Amino acid sequence: MTLGKRRVYLAGLALQLFLIITVSSRDTFWVLSKSRTIFPDSCKKFWQQAEQIASMALGQRLPRSNPVRQILTGYLHLSGIEVGYGFFAPNIPNSYKLIFELHFPDGRVEYKLPRVSNAASVLRVAGLLDQIGRTRSEPFRQTMVKMLADSVRREHADATMIRAIFGSVVLPSVPEFQHGKRESYEFLYAYDFSVTDEATEQMPP
Amino acid sequence: MKRLSAWRERLVDFFFPAESDIWLAVLRIGLGLEVILYALSLRDDWNYLLAGTGHGLISRSLGEAILSLESHLVPRLGWLVALAAHIGLREETVLSVAWICLLTAGCTLLVGLACRFSAILAWFLHLCAAKSGGFVSYGVDNFMTMGLFYLMLSPLPDQYSFDWRLRKSRPRDPQLLGFWRRLLQLHLCLIYFFSGLTKCIGSGWWDGSNIWRSLIRPPFDIIDPEILVRWRYLFPVAGIFICLLEIGYPFFVWNSKTRKIWLIGICAMHVGIGLMMGMYLFALIMIVLNAAAFGAGLIRLERHRISLRPQEAVS
Repeated sequence: MTLGKRRVYLAGLALQLFLIITVSSRDTFWVLSKSRTIFPDSCKKFWQQAEQIASMALGQRLPRSNPVRQILTGYLHLSGIEVGYGFFAPNIPNSYKLIFELHFPDGRVEYKLPRVSNAASVLRVAGLLDQIGRTRSEPFRQTMVKMLADSVRREHADATMIRAIFGSVVLPSVPEFQHGKRESYEFLYAYDFSVTDEATEQMPP
Repeated sequence: MKRLSAWRERLVDFFFPAESDIWLAVLRIGLGLEVILYALSLRDDWNYLLAGTGHGLISRSLGEAILSLESHLVPRLGWLVALAAHIGLREETVLSVAWICLLTAGCTLLVGLACRFSAILAWFLHLCAAKSGGFVSYGVDNFMTMGLFYLMLSPLPDQYSFDWRLRKSRPRDPQLLGFWRRLLQLHLCLIYFFSGLTKCIGSGWWDGSNIWRSLIRPPFDIIDPEILVRWRYLFPVAGIFICLLEIGYPFFVWNSKTRKIWLIGICAMHVGIGLMMGMYLFALIMIVLNAAAFGAGLIRLERHRISLRPQEAVS
């Protein structure tokens, strides 16, 4: 292999490693600034600043239409390095559950969960519910729940009203479990969808 | 000056070590198997999870619109659907064809037929599905994209593939093979380091409560908590073990004396995740990446040791 060719490969490797480290650092700083960790709360401002610097290095502070940002973000997605690696960290949050209450013209009420065929798809839907549960954007949450409700409505076309009940699954600790406490369901949001598909009501927690 | 050139030489030796293509064969076969299992796992829900507005679980169009805000350059199924619409193909047909092509690419990767084309096709179609269905994607999709990305750029085919037997032109640069393997190795080190670091800063991994929570958290709760609670004394040990295993990976996996222990530990952890949490696709991709990056050398080392024994006995 020629020296020139080696240099090109090394430059590519350096760029790839730089991007991986920067993305992973950005996400780690984000976790540190948002979660309860072993560090004091007074450090959170520092972590936020560090996260902003990492984002800047990735072109995330540039306007969305900027070609540099478009190319960099595009490359991160193409190579599968657009997110960091903080799986199940720093702590494991509660999971979320979505139940649909279907009301029929004859007064019948049925309860349904989002339907998928197998365990692999259940993992994916669970990830989707986590995103809905974690978001701070109410319009996003409402849109997602509405789409999920619509998928249920298509299978039960005679339902007149669908109430989507979104909640958090509260997990017991080991001592709590030993004292008889089991996982419980904490109500967070509810949306009513009439056949016209409009969210008519939202009940806050 | 001499020291500088010696240092530079060592650096080049590190990044361009002469390697055989065993690791590449492991990566190709492993990723082929992963792609097949991925496609089969989504067989019944593929169209349902990836359909456009008004046909599936959630709208693919919304996911793609959000993706467009990030970058217009990321491949998505919407491109294929729009392209096929020009020749009168319906969305359902395009999605089904994409699934069949992905499964076929997985099979051809597994046997090593048209390796480069199969790797590019598998990477492209999987990326399209993962990005268009971004709301229902998780860690396994990132690792598959990463693995397929490195595979399609690596000097294919390897000597265990069909292509090797069929074609006369073969890549013969062991240093280039070494370079791509080194990149995969460094990437894995960074993955485990950051994964371990973020775990270490949370209190739940040190007292074992995160082990308990991860095993009883739906939908990972495949083992009855009544059985799990009997093993509660092991949770802190397992939590600390995972933290140390992950954060120590970049430091201990390079040393030939500790590599085997670390690799077995990491693979055992992923087997545990697969069996106890039902994340078998995630477990498989991580084992494949580890086996290709650091495992292939171990196997070779063992073979060398075995082949040396008779000579040692003679001398």
